[in-house]
Amino acid sequence: MDLREDSVGDITVLEVKGRIDSTTAPTFGEKLTGTLATPDKRLVLDLRQLEYISSAGFRVLLLAAKRAEEAGSHFVLCSISGKVRQLFDLGGFLDLFSISASREEGIAALR
Amino acid sequence: MKRPVNIVYGVEDTPPLGVTVFSGLQHVVLISIRLLFPLLIAREAGLPPERVLDVLSISMIVLAVATLLQAIPRGPVGSGYLCPPSFTSAYIAPSLLAAKTGGMPLVVGMTLFGGVIEAALSRVLRPLRPFFPPEIAGFVVIVVGVTLGSLGTRAVLGTATPEGASTLDLAVTTVSLAVMMALNVWTKGSLRVFCALIGMIAGYVAAAITGSLTVADLRPVEAAPLIHFPNLGHAGWSFDLALAIPFAVAALAACLRAMGDVTTCQKINDAEWTRPSMRSISGGVLANGISTTTAGLLGTIGVNTLTSSVGLSSATGVTSRRIAYVIGGMFLMLAFLPKAAALLAIMPQPVLGATLWFSACFVFINGLQIVTSRMLDARRTFVIGLSFTIGLAVDLYPSFFHSLRPTLQPFTGSSLVLGTVLALVLNAVFRLGVRRTQQLTLEPRELDPAKIEDFMEAQGAAWGARRDVIDRAKFNLTQSVETIVEGCAPQGPLEIEASFDEFNLDLRVSYAGAALQLPDKRPSNEEIIESEEGQRKLAGFMLRRYADRVKSSYTAGRSTILFHFDH
Repeated sequence: MDLREDSVGDITVLEVKGRIDSTTAPTFGEKLTGTLATPDKRLVLDLRQLEYISSAGFRVLLLAAKRAEEAGSHFVLCSISGKVRQLFDLGGFLDLFSISASREEGIAALR
Repeated sequence: MKRPVNIVYGVEDTPPLGVTVFSGLQHVVLISIRLLFPLLIAREAGLPPERVLDVLSISMIVLAVATLLQAIPRGPVGSGYLCPPSFTSAYIAPSLLAAKTGGMPLVVGMTLFGGVIEAALSRVLRPLRPFFPPEIAGFVVIVVGVTLGSLGTRAVLGTATPEGASTLDLAVTTVSLAVMMALNVWTKGSLRVFCALIGMIAGYVAAAITGSLTVADLRPVEAAPLIHFPNLGHAGWSFDLALAIPFAVAALAACLRAMGDVTTCQKINDAEWTRPSMRSISGGVLANGISTTTAGLLGTIGVNTLTSSVGLSSATGVTSRRIAYVIGGMFLMLAFLPKAAALLAIMPQPVLGATLWFSACFVFINGLQIVTSRMLDARRTFVIGLSFTIGLAVDLYPSFFHSLRPTLQPFTGSSLVLGTVLALVLNAVFRLGVRRTQQLTLEPRELDPAKIEDFMEAQGAAWGARRDVIDRAKFNLTQSVETIVEGCAPQGPLEIEASFDEFNLDLRVSYAGAALQLPDKRPSNEEIIESEEGQRKLAGFMLRRYADRVKSSYTAGRSTILFHFDH
């Protein structure tokens, strides 16, 4: 798994490439919850290049949502397509998170 | 069966009367072009003009019977689709040979023999199913599309005449094709539904203006009587053993083409199509066999499903079975009205070329979609790629294939026959060594998800499985192994077994350790967040949902999970 961080104004964009499974989930979780622990933080999580996400990855996303709520931060997911979208649907996560079609729409949603 | 979005009236639908009649007319025009074939054979057999007229009328009765038989939705006969037959080029070469050596009695006798062979072939298709995998069905459809396009090109370029096509002829083709395509792409409703007929009419008008259609072309129409009751008695039937092989090969070619055409019908009518239905295919081939036998009995040449008609249905979005009843009725009427029939058979070559090109596009793309619906490994790539390349060589280098030994000629006479025979032989050869069940052993301490995914990927391609099913299997295997290693403390290696047949994909994961929970209710978000146990329940829930059936057991310290996927 590779993580790449960008900034668009005061919005952070975190792009995930590869797989989020039980091996990579701790690193991913550390980065995500660490970023969202900052009060009023706004973050777009770009999943365009995500190939696979297991239950460990979904747990990290739920934990991140909880941390964000506690810190008053906001984050949206974007560019979920194909197989990964099917997995979100399978686990009942499509309605749990704010999801935008593209990175640009995700940024616009947080402004 | 789910109707695709581009189909306006599906096979079970009842279109309005106007749509039914004019759609039927579009097909009748397209089918009638092939009436030249029995006329050609009857003349070659030296029949007097009044008998030639009988052959024309009888041929139309056969077309009516054949179209209706093909549309029967239940029982052993008929594909159940709008898949009208016409006279086929497959029987032309052997029929010409028969006409020269034994006149019309030998033509009809051998046609009867060809029909019986095809009917017999239809009965052995089901047990031979593993030798006709979906990618070969798709390959046949592609080659049929290419052949159709190639026939269209010949008509457009005017290769049948020494002077070839003129610039004005090419202009007629352009007008006719442009009208068909423009109406198909940019209009809706009646204009789209009748795009082929309107394009043909535009072509006729352009041909009349440019001189491609002259008064001389109308002479056969003028010469034909308005009403004619055909004489069904003919000079009898004869049989020549030397012609048995060419007619048997023609029957095989007709059978293969019908398989491709019926497969296309199935696919264009069902957005959720996954594999050919052998019931409707063998019913379609049997209907063809009976129709050709009827043709032989009544006194004309063999018929086969008409690919351009299937392409036309796909293009216009009207595939209702009721159109077949109208086509049958129209041909029965035309059988007694030779003047009208002759008018239909004089389509100018540039218009014919445009119509064939138009239909070929849809047939070709349907074939490509069928082939690419399956994962293809090196073996399957050779089966399709090599058969296509060598099959196409028949059209590109005909002189070489004509120079081969006469005994080989029946197999090398057309790209469809050579390509399909090669594909079937290569597929049978490459089936050797492909195991339907494969095992993989994983050490929990050296867990590598890529190894699991590569295993499923390679097996999926070797089996020619559907991509979507293999993707689901890959997830279930990876997620289950991950969860077992994290939460079930396996002692020793995990044994994985994957087995496949065309209808089932089964995965078995067994290991020494605690059983994996596969709850049918999703754990709450709080449960998932609070403990890793909640995360494992989520994994189990997703695994249960993604497979079509799951089974988990624990015996004598050893756990086994079975995932079943319908294929």
